[in-house]
Order: sequence, then structure tokens, then C-alpha cells
Amino acid sequence: MTNFNRRDTLKILGAGALAAGAPLGFPGAALAAREKELNILCWEGYNSAQVLDPFREKEGATVKAESLTNDPTMINRLRSGESKVWDLINVNNPWARKIMYPEKLIKPLPKDEFMPYFDKMLEQFHPPYKWAMSDDGSELLGMTQRFGPYSYVVNTDKISRKTAEETGWDLFNDESLAGKYGILESDDWNVFNIFLVAGLDPFKEHSPEEMKAFEDTALKVFKGAKLIGDIATMNQALISGEIDLHMTGGTYSVSPARADGFPEMRAITPLKGPMNGKGGVSWIEVTSTVNNPELSPLAPEFLKYVQDPEVAHTVAFAEGTFNPVAQMGNKACFDLFTKDELDAIQWDSLEEEMARSVEYDIVPDYEKALDLMNNAKRQRS
Amino acid sequence: MSDATLGTSSTVREKQGKERQGRSALRHLSLPAGARCASPILLFMALGFLAPLLTVIGFAFAEPRSFAVFESFTLRNFAEIFNPADTVWMSFAWSLALALLTVAALLLICYPIAYGLVRVFGRWSSLVSIAFVFPLFISENVRLYGWTLFFINHGVLDGLLAGIGLSGPNVLFTPEITLFGMIYTYLPFMLFPMTLGLSMVPGDLIEAARDFGAGRLMIWREIELPLAMPGILIGALLTFVLAAGAVAEAKILGGQSVIMISHDIENAFTYSQNWPRGAALAVLLMIVIGGLSMAVMARLDLDRILGRR
Repeated sequence: MTNFNRRDTLKILGAGALAAGAPLGFPGAALAAREKELNILCWEGYNSAQVLDPFREKEGATVKAESLTNDPTMINRLRSGESKVWDLINVNNPWARKIMYPEKLIKPLPKDEFMPYFDKMLEQFHPPYKWAMSDDGSELLGMTQRFGPYSYVVNTDKISRKTAEETGWDLFNDESLAGKYGILESDDWNVFNIFLVAGLDPFKEHSPEEMKAFEDTALKVFKGAKLIGDIATMNQALISGEIDLHMTGGTYSVSPARADGFPEMRAITPLKGPMNGKGGVSWIEVTSTVNNPELSPLAPEFLKYVQDPEVAHTVAFAEGTFNPVAQMGNKACFDLFTKDELDAIQWDSLEEEMARSVEYDIVPDYEKALDLMNNAKRQRS
Repeated sequence: MSDATLGTSSTVREKQGKERQGRSALRHLSLPAGARCASPILLFMALGFLAPLLTVIGFAFAEPRSFAVFESFTLRNFAEIFNPADTVWMSFAWSLALALLTVAALLLICYPIAYGLVRVFGRWSSLVSIAFVFPLFISENVRLYGWTLFFINHGVLDGLLAGIGLSGPNVLFTPEITLFGMIYTYLPFMLFPMTLGLSMVPGDLIEAARDFGAGRLMIWREIELPLAMPGILIGALLTFVLAAGAVAEAKILGGQSVIMISHDIENAFTYSQNWPRGAALAVLLMIVIGGLSMAVMARLDLDRILGRR
């Protein structure tokens, strides 16, 4: 029988402490280790084994990816000092240009190496693509890939596509639909959408009267919701008939249900709205290199790797959600999509829906609006 | 032996004596050997437990929406929380009310089961215990999504009832189903301490009381309940502490029909980008739960429960 005494325990602890302290004691060694290490902070999809494993094999590297489901949390992680941890950050369009670069949280990419990739993307991303560039247009801040319209989703067996598009955000003002809709727990987007239901452009400063209208609308919309939940819950509730539609949703959220054989579930972009006549909001992911003092040399390599047509197709159909990608502008990439996959991402109406949408932006009075919305949410009980 | 050698030996002896005295004095001043050996682990645990706690407390007093801890001091976060216009009190109220209801329901549900495990099931007790422990090996979220599929329209229950011409009850996405989820999730945390408490009631005592003519109710009230009370209180406390911080049940089964305080804390740290507010809410929750725990612990004799006395 082996006796494991206190002396052994202390030896192990000592060895453990040495091992833990080693990287601190030898910074050169730590730096060398980063050549085969990559840490990615991203939305889900980029963290899937389908995307990461071939890169791990190719580079013989340790690649760690953490997925989160909202942009503010990821930005906060960098702000709180995790810039030293991450190499790549994948968030929606306005954050790189308007927040992360001014706050020195990300580094620009070498334009000569990366700009040519934009030539092969869908036309709307051709260079200089606004959301990939710094405010003055001089620096390239990230690479674009997944995108999509994101307003609301309806079960077209219950509400026709035509009615849903023509009625627009007033669907959520319709008292007869109270108790028949859900709200996706995506609070930053819910702020945009409550403004839109109130008939207001979310991406501008709001007067006290407009904020009051926002508050009243939030109270009414949250009170009338049958449930608030994540994407899986929304799709399940739509399919089971618990709800007929849900606010905040698009190709990103409904594509798994469509791919599963429920094409009647459809992302809708309203025909009109209060944003210079547009009613929908779209998102475009921008992946940037973090301002990490010991940035892994694999970070730019990964950005190039995901531009490959086959990898871009894998990213589009990685586990979780299915989305169009900017690389579909390249015929070699587009040809990899089957008819069913194109149906799942609503390729038939993608262009017109993007044209009816404004691109996701920062809401100037987001904090105040979010507080009002959270108050409204609590009062729904 | 020469004088010189003698002289050297006596100097060495003197030196050794002084060293011994010094060491003994040091031993009087310093910690016992056990504590000294344990100090690396104690230090590690202090860092692991206290550092995050102190950081949260530090953030609670930082300027709202700032990301720097220990660089500013303000009570504004608490003032905002206690502002009557802020409805966060509703989240506190829901969390505490549902936690209390969970404890009350589990006291009633678990007592007969615990009694059965100790006195009735005999050799089947282990199997029954495993049946209650087994769900703990599966993620709580997975189990709760399972219940959603059970109760949802056209789900398991609805499908079964449709076979006999009935339809399933419309219970999902309500506060009631949230309570059900909490009772289901925290059942083992009440059951096992309660079973431990009941198992410490000596059978002889019950026999003696019966011999003296005590009825079942009197035996339960005068012997079984008081002697099992430490286990029952620990179960109640554990369940209350866990339930007060619960969030998954309200989100997955309840469809956020009520907002729990942990959800508000999570929101403050994520969408709101207001870590100080989240930290202030967490501190208040800790004070409430800590206060209640201390009040209950003051009534417990842990040494006796653990059989040390």
C-alpha cells in the first residue's frame, strides 16, 4: 500500500508552484510559447472543432476559443485587462471602428496583406469597406465574414410574410398578438427594437419625450410577451406553436429551425421604418487582432485561414447558427453551398433584406434606455 | 584530552545551548508546526476565496460604469439601487420569495422520503439514494431543457394526453413552473442533510418513548423533530442559499416571467457594462444570505451533528 504523507503533498505543491511560476520567471520562454498558441474571443461558430481543428493540425498549435453571445461582454473583457490574454476578437461592426480602436484595445492589420481579400468578397464589402476601416479611413481594423439581417421572425403559417413585412414593427403594437410572441434575450438588440416599435430611430440622441415613449413601449411589449429566452427556446416555441413570432431575430437565429425542416419559420425585414425609411437592422462581424503586448503570430494567419473558400463555408455552417458569409462573393466559395443551405440562410431575399436594413450601430443613449427596459422587464411579472 | 580541546568543546556546547534556547523561544512566538506546514495552502485558499470577494466589494464602491477597482469610492451604486424608481427590489423580492417557497415545499416533500430512507426502505435505501443523486451528474440546464420538452405544446405530456383525447396543461413560462424547477433542482440538497439528521435520532429513544405510552405525534414532536433539527436546518439553509441565487429555472422553464436577482447581476456585468452596480447587488445579496445563514448557524452545534461529541 502506498502511503501519501504530508511531505509528499508538500513536494507536489512545491513542484506545482515552480511549474506555475516558470512562465513568470522566464519571459523569453513565455514569448516563445506564444508562437504555437492562439486565443480567440468570439461569437459561437469560430469556436467549433470543425473550424479550429484543421488550423490546429496545420500549425501544430494550441488554439483556445471562448464564445460569448453579446458584444458588450467581450469588449468589457478587454477593458478589464484581458488584452494580455486574447489574440483575436470577433464582434459586430461598430465596435472595432467606434470603440475598440479609439480605446486602443485592437491593433490595425497590414493593409497590403489583407485588403486584397476584400476584392473577392460580396460587392457590398468591396474596399474600402466602412466597418473594417478606422474613422479616418487610414487603417484596416479587421476582417469581415458572417453577416445578416436581424429584426424579427414569424411563423408564416400563422402570419404571412407579406403581412409581416408590410405591418412592420407595429406587429408588436397589435394587442391581438399579446401573449403570442416571444422576445429573444438579446438585450442590446432589444433596445434597438423597442425604439423601432415606438416609431423612433434608435441610432440618434433622444429627447425626454422620446425616452418616455420608449419606456411606455417597453412596458407594453414586455408585458405582452409570452416568454423571453435564448435562440433554442425561441425556435422550440415557434415550432411547437407556443408563439407565432418573436422580436429580435433573423437568419442568424432562425436558420437552424429552417435547416431542420421548418421553412415556414422566416426572418422578416420590415418594408419601411423610422431610420430614413428603413425598418430593419443588420449586423456584420468584424474580427480584429487584439492589442496584446505578446500577440501570437498565428493571429493574422488565422484571419487568412478563414478566408479560404472551404473554411469560409465551414464557418457559415458551423454548429449553432447558419449565416451568409462575405466570401460568398467568390464563386469557389458560393458553389460549396447546397440548395438546402441557401434556403436555410434565406439567400432568395438576402440582398433585398440587407438593402432594407441599416447597419448595427452604437445607440447614443443606450445605458439610459437599457435601464428603462430592464425596469419594464421586471414589471412584466 | 588537552585543555585546548576542552576549551573548544565547552564553547561549542555553550553555542549549542544558546541555539536551542533561541529555537525554543522562536517556537513559543511562532505558529505550531501544523499551522506552519498548512500555511502555503491557507495562503492559497485565502487568495482564492478572499481576493475575488474583496474585488467584488471594491467594485461595489467604485464609480458607476467604471472598470477600475479600488481607484474611487462612492455610495452611488447603493443609492441607485435603493432609489424607489429602480425596480430592482422586485427581483430581490422574487428571488427571496421563491427561495422561501422552495424551502417550505422541500421540507414537506423531503421529510417522508428521508424518513423512508432511514427507517423504512431498509436495504433498498442505497438504491433510492442513488436515484436521487443520479440527476446531479447531468447538467442542470440539460435537465431543465428536458422539462421544457416535457411540458411544451406537442411535447411529451401533451402527446401522451392527446392519446386519450386530452391536451396538456399550459404551464410553461409562468412563475409557478419556475418554482417547480427550483423544487426539482434543489431536492437533493434538502434531502440528504435531512436524512443525516433523522439518522442521528437513536432508535432506542423512540422505543423507550413508545414503551412509556407516547403516541406517534408526540414521539415526532418531542423526540424525532428536535433531534433531527440540525440536519433539517442545514438542509433548509443550503437550499435557501442556492435557491436565492438561482437563475436557470426562471430563464429556461419560466421564460423570464419573473426576473431573479442573479439575472439582474448578470445583466449588470454584461449588457449594462455596469460592473459596480452588479457588484453592489452581489454585496447586498451576500449580506441578506449571509445574515440569514449566520442566524441559523448560531442555532446549530456542528460538532454534535458531525458526531464529534
